[in-house]
Amino acid sequence: MTDERLNELLDDARRTWPLPPEPDYQAMWGRIEREAFAGVRKESRTPSWRIFSIGLAAALMMGVGLGRISRNTTTPVPGVASSATDTATPASSDYDRAASELLGRTVMLLTSLPAEARNVGAGEQFSNQATELLTSTRLLLDSPAASDARFKDLLEDLELVLGQIAMLQSGRTRQEIDLITDALEERDVVPRIRSAVARFSKGD
Amino acid sequence: MTHAALAAEASTVPDERFLIARAQRGDRDAARSLYDAHARRVHRVVFRLCGDEEMAQDLTQDTFIRVFDKLSSFRGESAFATWVHRIAVTVTLNGLRKERRLKRGADDLDVANDLPAPSNDVDPDLRSKLRAAIEALPPGSRASVILHDIEGYTHAEIGEMLGIAEGTSKARLFDARNRLKKTLAAYARDV
Repeated sequence: MTDERLNELLDDARRTWPLPPEPDYQAMWGRIEREAFAGVRKESRTPSWRIFSIGLAAALMMGVGLGRISRNTTTPVPGVASSATDTATPASSDYDRAASELLGRTVMLLTSLPAEARNVGAGEQFSNQATELLTSTRLLLDSPAASDARFKDLLEDLELVLGQIAMLQSGRTRQEIDLITDALEERDVVPRIRSAVARFSKGD
Repeated sequence: MTHAALAAEASTVPDERFLIARAQRGDRDAARSLYDAHARRVHRVVFRLCGDEEMAQDLTQDTFIRVFDKLSSFRGESAFATWVHRIAVTVTLNGLRKERRLKRGADDLDVANDLPAPSNDVDPDLRSKLRAAIEALPPGSRASVILHDIEGYTHAEIGEMLGIAEGTSKARLFDARNRLKKTLAAYARDV
């Protein structure tokens, strides 16, 4: 058989290959929901978020604490000033990594906020997540990562917005959500976070 | 519309990113919306790969269970539709290898509905022989023919789905087509 003839047959097959009978998608979803969203799995999501936040906060607190101790105890010695810079370098990359992770989590929270506004009961979950992110943001503000003026501005805006979200209650009004999303838009928060994440990933 | 365009269209649906983010946090309504948006196309590809109605339903369910199980690892590096189809193809090929249930097309034609208008260009007997020959190919080769020649995916897309290089996909298709030509050679001489 020639290639040309086979191509003709395959062209025909593309048009005439049987389509599947329409299955009961609702019934199929039933099994998917049971197996993919079993109670244990769903419950495990909140702790994993908390573990991340607690871990991030702990790492930042240690970093800030060590930075302060090192600043207080290091006596400048003429001619060996570079040693302080040498010890700061690995810590800076750790801060960058922590900042990058924090920003990734924050942008996920902020982008899902408008869509979630319709869900009753989502406010408390947002509030809890924002409170934990707020702690990390404040620790970063007190760290060498905030020595970059642009990044410090971003962290300060995040502190404001996350503070607003942290105050959300389950009985929040649509107006509260609108105020927060307006604040996000006015300050271009999400594009600036993405830009900062890109800078961190390039190692700038 | 090409598959790349379909995938691009699916990935630019404004709410999809939000749906994914919500589903990543265990929101079932968001997960259901993602399922509704992609289930038909996934089911069609799975059915064409396995050729069995019941198995296609099982594998489509397995695909989405896997999708939602792995959703936390989805970082948006590829279009969501491409990522879902990659899982679907993997799940299907694994299912075919595991169960050795390649079923001949003739039986399935009886239950298939919504058939396109038949073409008069090709002898129906030759058409059914081609289907049987494709279904008799080893799973990897069969997937190459179905995905490229029937479903219209590009080699780059197939490579991404099967976790192989684009060149490997081309080589597999070349090999599969040679097998088809050999299988159909005797019959083609009679036409």
